[in-house]
Amino acid sequence: MRVPYSWLKEYLQTELSLAELCHLLTMGGLEVEGFEEWTAQDGGATEQILMTSVTPNRGDLLSIIGVARHAGALSGDGHSQPASSFPEVDEALIDANKATAGPVTVEIVDPIGCPRYSALLIEGIDVGPSPDWLRYRLEAAGIRSINNVVDCTNYVVWELGQPMHAFDFRLIKDGHIIVRRAEPGEKLLLLDDTWQMLGPEDVVIADPMGAVALAGIMGGADTQMREVTTTVLLESAHFDPVAIRRTSLRLGGTQASYRFERHVDPNLTLPALARAAQLILETAGGAITQRALDVKTADFAPQAIEMRPQRCNAILGTDLDAATMAAYLRRLGCQVEEGEPLAVCVPTFRPDIEREIDLVEEVAIVHGYENISPTVPGHLVASGRLTEVQRLRRRAGELLRECGLHENLSFSMTCAAELDRCCFPSDATSRSLVLLSNPISTELSAMRRALLPALLEAAARNARQRVADVALYEIGTVFHPQKIVGQASRLSTTPPGETPVVPNGDEAPLGEGPDLPHEQQRVAAIMMGSPLVGHWNLPDEQAGVDFYYLKGIVEQMCTGLGLTRVSFVRYEHSMFHPGKCAEVTLGERSLGVMGEIAPEVGEAYDLPGPAYAFELSLDMLLEQATLQRAYRPLRRYPAAERDLAVIVPDSDDFSAVRLAAEIAQAGGQFLESVTPFDVYADAEQFGAEHKSIAFRLIFRAEDRTLTDDELDGAMAEVHRHLEERVGTEVRK
Amino acid sequence: MDDKLEQLRQQAVETFQAAADEEQLEQARIEYLGRHGQLREIMKDLGSVSPELRPALGKLANQVSREVEQAFAQRQEQIAAQVASQEAEAIDVTLPGRAPRVGKQHPLLATLEEMIEIFLGLGFTVVEGPDVENYYYSFEALNYPELHPAMDEQMTFYISDNALLRSQTSPVQIRVMEQQQPPVRIVAPGRCFRRDTVDATHCHTFYQLEGLLVDEGVTFADLKGTLEVFAREMFGPQCHMRFRPDFFPFTEPSAEIALTCIICGGEGCRVCGNTGWLEVGGSGMVDPNVLAGVGYDTETYTGYAFGVGVERLAMLRHGIDDIRLFYTGDMRFLQQF
Ligand SMILES: [Zn+2]
Repeated sequence: MRVPYSWLKEYLQTELSLAELCHLLTMGGLEVEGFEEWTAQDGGATEQILMTSVTPNRGDLLSIIGVARHAGALSGDGHSQPASSFPEVDEALIDANKATAGPVTVEIVDPIGCPRYSALLIEGIDVGPSPDWLRYRLEAAGIRSINNVVDCTNYVVWELGQPMHAFDFRLIKDGHIIVRRAEPGEKLLLLDDTWQMLGPEDVVIADPMGAVALAGIMGGADTQMREVTTTVLLESAHFDPVAIRRTSLRLGGTQASYRFERHVDPNLTLPALARAAQLILETAGGAITQRALDVKTADFAPQAIEMRPQRCNAILGTDLDAATMAAYLRRLGCQVEEGEPLAVCVPTFRPDIEREIDLVEEVAIVHGYENISPTVPGHLVASGRLTEVQRLRRRAGELLRECGLHENLSFSMTCAAELDRCCFPSDATSRSLVLLSNPISTELSAMRRALLPALLEAAARNARQRVADVALYEIGTVFHPQKIVGQASRLSTTPPGETPVVPNGDEAPLGEGPDLPHEQQRVAAIMMGSPLVGHWNLPDEQAGVDFYYLKGIVEQMCTGLGLTRVSFVRYEHSMFHPGKCAEVTLGERSLGVMGEIAPEVGEAYDLPGPAYAFELSLDMLLEQATLQRAYRPLRRYPAAERDLAVIVPDSDDFSAVRLAAEIAQAGGQFLESVTPFDVYADAEQFGAEHKSIAFRLIFRAEDRTLTDDELDGAMAEVHRHLEERVGTEVRK
Repeated sequence: MDDKLEQLRQQAVETFQAAADEEQLEQARIEYLGRHGQLREIMKDLGSVSPELRPALGKLANQVSREVEQAFAQRQEQIAAQVASQEAEAIDVTLPGRAPRVGKQHPLLATLEEMIEIFLGLGFTVVEGPDVENYYYSFEALNYPELHPAMDEQMTFYISDNALLRSQTSPVQIRVMEQQQPPVRIVAPGRCFRRDTVDATHCHTFYQLEGLLVDEGVTFADLKGTLEVFAREMFGPQCHMRFRPDFFPFTEPSAEIALTCIICGGEGCRVCGNTGWLEVGGSGMVDPNVLAGVGYDTETYTGYAFGVGVERLAMLRHGIDDIRLFYTGDMRFLQQF
């Protein structure tokens, strides 16, 4: 809010400099975000403006008086009020639902939406331009000058915080103001020349003909003040914050609704009428001919709350005495009866103070947060540590970084078009997305279903910057409309070995609820170009990443997480090259997919060369992962090596992993490992669509060096098994 | 004398052959063939030998001298050839080195991890909640009154009336307290979302670290003390936290937390808007309504909570001037940390 300094000083007498005042307010809960040196458009006035930022609980600070009151309370200087008083206002006609004074009748039909409506008639006014001082004040505050009467009401809004409205009284049918809910389908032309369709959630000011104003938001066009108006009816009412907010959320807010939503003092209606009347009589002439009307459906008495000084100190960690606390609260306008506890009467401009804890906060604010000495809590005796899953997740990231991949972050929000671009599988399950109902843009209108599309985009972005070598991984959450598989909860405070204490023995699963989408943690990576720095003298086929390089990284990560049952099976996936794609499985479960990105996808992203990628379920990986390692004694006796090569058809039935398993099965008790080390095809030598795979077998005994005879025997057994049982030719 | 000569010959030949380079060979030459070398010295002794033995010994001495000189020349040639051949293998040592790339942690998550380490050291444990939250945990359980303008500040993304992207990590407080009796001491890191337009300092996606401590006798002074420790550990002993009144529905009293500007050390600069302070988050004493809502006895237990933004701290630590860099995936950016 714009607070002109000279206006503020009318009600605040203080020795503080402007800078000191701003610091006091900022540290006292009303942030002064800055100053403006303001000059009127016609150059006729200058002013210093404080730009304040008001928290949504403090509607009382949305006025000049409110700021003066708070500054006076914080500094102890106090503040003053505008001196405007009229007997017709002081002795307003009070009634609980309907009151009449002369030609004016006010009736409240909806006491929920409008608990209080005060009104005052002024006759014989002369509507015209405002005097300079009024115009400048409003311009400095950021309000457009309209005419002297409307300007006076706006002046009061800014000064006291009470929104007001001025009706051309002659246009109110029968002089009868009715505050009610709008009829379904009722229409109203507002001051800003827009037609609004209203309904029963909107509170309106009406006459017997129909709505004339949208309560707490904007007046109607038909009854507005004009040049020719001679009789004005001033409205000063109290509206329900929730009712006003419901309407303003739908139709848009105004200065008035902004204040009503944040609560206006219900006892401000009459002082505001008096102040407005004073200003109007000064600037537009006229006379008050009738008593004001004050229809109020409640008595709006100050709230009484008790506060235990001991409790206050226990919460703040202070050692203040009760008299000091009482003095602080009095400075804020409370009436305090000392005793144990303190009996506090809270002024009606502070509806946010409802409970003991709210008073504690006020004591802290007046005392000054900076005057509370910090202590380090003595409760922090237990050692904090990460849970097993959290440590495993960190380790997974570390392993990938150790393999040379940089950690990447991408947005959780994406769109369906991104899935088309990367040829994401088109089945209904793959394409069902969690959609936002109020996205910023269509590009960010759905929650991501996978991590790879964003990694592809990151690779493309690097390529556009001529960065050809890309190695990125991301660990992140993906979202599915429904739960698909069982998942470990990420929300566990329980260190290993402890059981959580569950209140009421109610073991509700944490992390998600019935209406929430399923969230899964994934790990994904993309590689392109070379994994080496400085590969200037290596041929591309040696320097570049390929399928096996990335597979090696997946294996390193899995091994590092203590997973031994990971395997790779030929797989078809629309995002990947049909011949270079594998499903990664852990035992019986599918973790995800890896391979070379399909050429058409690479083209869609303008990638300069082949890219390799994987995306796996981290949740599933971590379910079985472990950081525990048991030491295996080092073997004392040397190993013996034997190589063998088999000629097999180029088919998945004779994959390296299957042949190695067959060899291991036949190799006997001393066979320690079987590793393929050479693969090549030669149509002349082996026949078309055949290839040779060479394996190195390592044999070792625990207690001695193996003899040649023993090794030859084992190898013979392997040969026999391969030729007779597996049906392959062993090269001699 | 014969023996002496023979011994000398053997020694000299062996020494020459053992010489590894030109320098050692030259030293050996001086030792045996120099003007005061052993060969000259032994020649001098020839004068004292009886005349009848002299011719034979002279002949032998000459022969030894020739052989020694030959051995020297031969070794000299060998060494020269070796030097030439190694020179031919010489490489340009100034060309770039070659090694596997070292992967780097994302600066945002590295900062978050360091923050977490500090709180782990203070006895907090780490919990995480879902990115998509329901209305109850996001607002109702956090004491947001129905239709309160405080919700405007959250600029929430909605999926349905009841499902939304969390705009702060605070819902985790409720999820944890529902499951556990005091003492509770947790930090909850996580991704949050607000409908903010993206520019150099704003983004619709950001990270927060939430903290919650509930126990008997927890005070506002404890909150200040804990966050002071955090500020010191994170940015050094000259760094302090400033607390000033603010409003959050789920804390009372509430405080905005600001850090001594680490750019200017509190003197005031462009980054901190000349205030000397950088706003980093919100905090306060957990509102009794929140504690009562999860079934805690509010007379026995009090607690504090705080939420600290991660982006700003990471940007300050590294001098990063554009928040959008965090999400580009640019290798040139990521490899710098
Ligand atoms: Zn600074």
